[in-house]
Amino acid sequence: MEERPQHRPSRLPDNSALKQQELPAHRLYFTARRVLFVFFTTGIFCLCMGIILILSARSTQEIEINYTRICANCAKLRENASNFDKECTCSIPFYLSGKMMGNIYMYYKLYGFYQNLYRYVRSRSNRQLMGKDIKAVDDCAPFKMSDNKTPIVPCGAIANSMFNDTIILLHNINSSVQIKVPMLKSGLTWWTDKYVKFQNPSSKNLADEFRGTTKPPNWPKPIYDLDKKDPRNNGFLNDDFIVWMRAAAFPTFKKLYGRLNRTHHFIEGLPAGNYSLNITYNFPVTRFHGEKSVVLSTLTWCGGNSLFLGLAYTVTGAITWLASFAMMAIHIMLKNKKMSFFHQ
Amino acid sequence: MFCFMVEMERIVKANDREYNEKFQYVDNRIHTSKYSILTFLPINLFEQFQRVANAYFLCLLILQLIPEISSLTWFTTIVPLVLVITMTAVKDATDDYFRHKSDNQVNNRQSEVLIDSKLQNEKWMNVKVGDIIKLENNQFVAADLLLLSSSEPHGLCYVETAELDGETNLKVRHALSVTSELGADINRLARFDGIVVCEAPNNKLDKFMGILSWKDSKHSLNNEKIILRGCILRNTSWCFGMVIFAGPDTKLMQNSGKTKFKRTSIDRLMNALVLWIFGFLICLGIILAIGNSIWESQIGDQFRTFLFWNEGEKSSVFSGFLTFWSYIIILNTVVPISLYVSVEVIRLGHSYFINWDRKMYYSRKATPAEARTTTLNEELGQIEYIFSDKTGTLTQNIMTFKRCSINGRIYGEVPDDLDQKTEITQKKEPVDFSVKSQVDREFQFFDHNLMESIKMGDPKVHEFLRVLALCHTVMSEENSAGELIYQVQSPDEGALVTAARNFGFIFKSRTPETITIEELGTLVTYQLLAFLDFNNTRKRMSVIVRNPEGQIKLYSKGADTILFEKLHPSNEVLLSLTSDHLSEFAGEGLRTLAIAYRDLDDKYFKEWHKMLEDANAATEERDERIAGLYEEIERDLMLLGATAVEDKLQEGVIETVASLSLANIKIWVLTGDKQETAINIGYACNMLTDDMNDVFVIAGNNAVEVREELRKAKENLSGQNRNVSNGHVVCEKKQQLELDSIVEETVTGDYALIINGHSLAHALESDVKNDLLELACMCKTVVCCRVTPLQKAQVVELVKKYRNAVTLAIGDGANDVSMIKSAHIGVGISGQEGLQAVLASDYSFAQFRYLQRLLLVHGRWSYFRMCKFLCYFFYKNFAFTLVHFWFGFFCGFSAQIALDTSYWTFINHVFIWGSIAIYFSILFTMHSNGIFGIFPNQFPFVGNARHSLTQKCIWLVILLTTVASVLPVVVFKFLKVNLYPTLSDQIRRWQKAQKKARPPSSRRPRTRRSSSRRSGYAFAHQEGYGELITSGKNMRTKNPPPTSGLEKTHYNSTSWIENLCKKTTETVSSFSQDKTVKL
Repeated sequence: MEERPQHRPSRLPDNSALKQQELPAHRLYFTARRVLFVFFTTGIFCLCMGIILILSARSTQEIEINYTRICANCAKLRENASNFDKECTCSIPFYLSGKMMGNIYMYYKLYGFYQNLYRYVRSRSNRQLMGKDIKAVDDCAPFKMSDNKTPIVPCGAIANSMFNDTIILLHNINSSVQIKVPMLKSGLTWWTDKYVKFQNPSSKNLADEFRGTTKPPNWPKPIYDLDKKDPRNNGFLNDDFIVWMRAAAFPTFKKLYGRLNRTHHFIEGLPAGNYSLNITYNFPVTRFHGEKSVVLSTLTWCGGNSLFLGLAYTVTGAITWLASFAMMAIHIMLKNKKMSFFHQ
Repeated sequence: MFCFMVEMERIVKANDREYNEKFQYVDNRIHTSKYSILTFLPINLFEQFQRVANAYFLCLLILQLIPEISSLTWFTTIVPLVLVITMTAVKDATDDYFRHKSDNQVNNRQSEVLIDSKLQNEKWMNVKVGDIIKLENNQFVAADLLLLSSSEPHGLCYVETAELDGETNLKVRHALSVTSELGADINRLARFDGIVVCEAPNNKLDKFMGILSWKDSKHSLNNEKIILRGCILRNTSWCFGMVIFAGPDTKLMQNSGKTKFKRTSIDRLMNALVLWIFGFLICLGIILAIGNSIWESQIGDQFRTFLFWNEGEKSSVFSGFLTFWSYIIILNTVVPISLYVSVEVIRLGHSYFINWDRKMYYSRKATPAEARTTTLNEELGQIEYIFSDKTGTLTQNIMTFKRCSINGRIYGEVPDDLDQKTEITQKKEPVDFSVKSQVDREFQFFDHNLMESIKMGDPKVHEFLRVLALCHTVMSEENSAGELIYQVQSPDEGALVTAARNFGFIFKSRTPETITIEELGTLVTYQLLAFLDFNNTRKRMSVIVRNPEGQIKLYSKGADTILFEKLHPSNEVLLSLTSDHLSEFAGEGLRTLAIAYRDLDDKYFKEWHKMLEDANAATEERDERIAGLYEEIERDLMLLGATAVEDKLQEGVIETVASLSLANIKIWVLTGDKQETAINIGYACNMLTDDMNDVFVIAGNNAVEVREELRKAKENLSGQNRNVSNGHVVCEKKQQLELDSIVEETVTGDYALIINGHSLAHALESDVKNDLLELACMCKTVVCCRVTPLQKAQVVELVKKYRNAVTLAIGDGANDVSMIKSAHIGVGISGQEGLQAVLASDYSFAQFRYLQRLLLVHGRWSYFRMCKFLCYFFYKNFAFTLVHFWFGFFCGFSAQIALDTSYWTFINHVFIWGSIAIYFSILFTMHSNGIFGIFPNQFPFVGNARHSLTQKCIWLVILLTTVASVLPVVVFKFLKVNLYPTLSDQIRRWQKAQKKARPPSSRRPRTRRSSSRRSGYAFAHQEGYGELITSGKNMRTKNPPPTSGLEKTHYNSTSWIENLCKKTTETVSSFSQDKTVKL
């Protein structure tokens, strides 16, 4: 008699759906009804979305004032690096024809500044910026140490090239009265940057903490003097500094400079009228054929005033509709052909 | 390895290790493993870095260590590289460990060796050339031995060579008479100091040439005196042999092909693709480097003043050069290292699916299918040629007596159901044999009519069964339980004798002069007067016996074609009836034999016998005279009927063969068996049919003949082809001209090619090869018979090399190992005794029919999945990497990365599924405060994900991108299904419609093959036993032969042995001469 393998475990494979490759599977079958339905609905959706996006993009208001050429004398001055200590201001008047409603943001915009160069982007020390070890400058070449071997704080090419123009927006209520438009310099950064990525060594006395270090060569003042009035905006925690340190992906970029403090006169936004920008011109751009400008803008739910997304949606929707009509035509033609074939 | 000189001949001296050591013959240890502990690391690493991908990533790693150009941190490359290499190394190590284990198991088998005049137990690996070993019954032979003496008379011994050539019938080996006298006398054996001079180690299983010099006389040695490693000693209680070839020199090992690293076509495609992509990468690098040089000279110069680079130090060209290398590093993900790992993992998964498949589980032997190699799954879907062994693979090697025709009446047919005549189901009640004491319980017969006829005492039926019980070469034996055991040389004969036994005609015992059978309960002893043995030209065998009543009878069985010519004219009616029956049997693929008898009168026989003795004593033309005498007496026979024996096919073979050929897979049968048997099986499996236009039989004896036959067959084929398609002659001719070098697949009609081993040996030589291949590929079925293991491999190699097709070899025995190894995919039949085939195979399962599921389901799915995966993988890599290329145009070609990619390689390796969930969780982790806190420099992305994903704009972009990417594909698919539906689309549509309608009745009427083919079957064994029986040489001396009234034919022992040798060689040559047999 054949011996039955009772004692050893059975070698029969499990009968599970996975092991027998019998898991429920679904294969899309492209029936005309389904496909056309999907296409028409997608088309409608895209068209609607596109129109909404275009409308909302157009509802935003934006003014850009390029001051590279307007402040030509300053630009000329800055082309020579030896004039770094000479102050140069310039005032640019402009007229706001309609009032800008809602939250207003002020940006500076740079053209042709390659913040995305590989060596440039690498040239920073995140450990230093975390405040853990302010002498950690290993990654910062070529701005690690000053000539007398004291570590630079903040080190690296990014920090050294920080945008340092000051922009003040003034509202000319009439020819004689000018009031400064109140701008908030807080909340410009990502939360993670301000509270995780950038930390001062200790909050007691910044100057002490940074003893034994030196300021970057391009900087007029050390890091602990960026904002003496507000300790939460000083040192590595300075919002302008943090904003600059987040390197832009493209050579043309804008960075947030301030947001409108909606109080008193400006509670609804910027009223129409004459304004002027008072700029302390420090940042040289003509040396690399760059340009710079100030941008005032409102935001909508979907971002800025770019029409691209809206147009893209509209075009996609339109093409989808065209395609669905074409497919419907083909389908009907084929159907008729088949019908006539059967009738024969 | 050790001896660089090619061994021309081998000189071995018995019992003299020192003498033999001079020649530095290898010992009996075998090595199949690749590494040892010390050599593992260097050899394995060397092997691994030979893979293009690994070497490439090593280079990349070195590049990344140069700070000037390193744009990614070094660990993004080293982690996956180390991972890949460790995984492969672990796998190699475990594989090799198992090889070591099996080597050790074999090397440590014990055998008794004669050392210092004593028999000592020694491990196989310590056996040396020249040693004398003692073997016992049912033991494996340790090395190639020269048989010295054995327990059986005259130094005979029986071996089973199934491991070597797949034939399960026993073979006789006999020692030289001078050495067989040594017997089991240890002292004499220890003093034996003969010197054997013989051929160098080779792989020819059926040839041996050598000379034994002992006691100042020389004796020539041939294959009959050699027992090869891998054989099993049977029916012989002990024997002594002297080791001639050991270990790797043995014919078994020489026949096992080398293990080759098997690769799939996808692997090759992948390698090619990777090379192309690498070229593409270089191009990208060059473009970006040029871009960088231009940018540096145009814009970068001005920008430098602002960034305070050390000006003048770096020219723009040099910067471009560095950028090139940086981009090679950044863009390295287009050449995906993880591709190899992922592919391996997917294949591993597929292998598990194969292991888990219940539909490939054979419950009777409790063996599931097993994917022993995990790297070949998708190749299963690409098989074009299957090379199959016969015995054990297509057939069960069980012969069963199925039906018979006695005196014009068919028995064994289940009468009521005409359609299911051949399908004997378990429901039908078999004939109950249990009343008889001496029955074989496994035997089943489903027709009660025969039993009734026996009980009624139908003399013809009795006579028929008597022939079956008397006319054979079977030896009987009683085992310890008192049961009757038959020792059969061919399973067919066994089937017939067993059938007779179950019907009450029990063959009990035999002596050289008598045969004792039990006829329905009474013992009857017949005197055996003459034994007219089988040979290949006669195709029949007869016995002449005198029954207790004193009548002399000649009982004969043989191939119907031959026997029918010898019949007495009065048999005409019966002949035509039996002839019809035979056609029917043959149509069912059964092996048939005709049975006849003749009454002889005393005087005539005595005269004839005298002439036979004279002929035997004659020195000249002895064989011709004997043959003439045989012819003389075997005439005027009275036909009794015919038998039909089924060479039982494995389950489902016919269906499997049919569906595989539907899938355009060609099946070649390569067997060590006889031509007749092979052809018979071909018919039984429907590989050969009567509808075939022609069956070419190539059986030439030398190269010229073979070439001529091949040429003729080819001419014949193209000629017929032209006749068939008369209208298309012109265009076909044109085609043939065009496709002269390429084999024409345009052959109309079915052809089959049958070629035997001798012809194959010539056909595989040089220039004939192509003719053979061309002809073979035009035929629907190819059957190669009498082929050696190595020839099997050669045939596979031939197809592999010249047809460029994917091949699969399937077999069950050690003789299939080399074929299994050389085919692209080797499949072993598991659940059998021998394991060699399974160990050498890539896949193993218990039944041939599972091949269908393996190829058509698993293979197909694996291939589909792999293709889809590859497409996706390359797409993903390109999409991912080309972003950096485009970004290069915005960042001054400075090799700044646009996206944080450092974790990407991890994802690829650890989570090949790349599921979105995992992607996002990793993203958030990498961008989390914690990670940043620990590695601020490596992970400066804190907050990126959080801030970007909270912007609605981003989601809108994602949505739009999705829509824009998906819709065109949908349009394409929709239009394709509607305008150009594929076959599977149509089938799917049809299935859907079918589902809506009522379920179809799936019963197909079974088509029965009516055949005009007459079985050319003869016995599947060689001549030789008849003479052994009549001479009494193989009878134990303990039952002394009873004195016979007749003088028996007397040979002296040496002349008998000579006869035997002579006839064996004749058998071979006569076999190859009967190429003209028309089937």
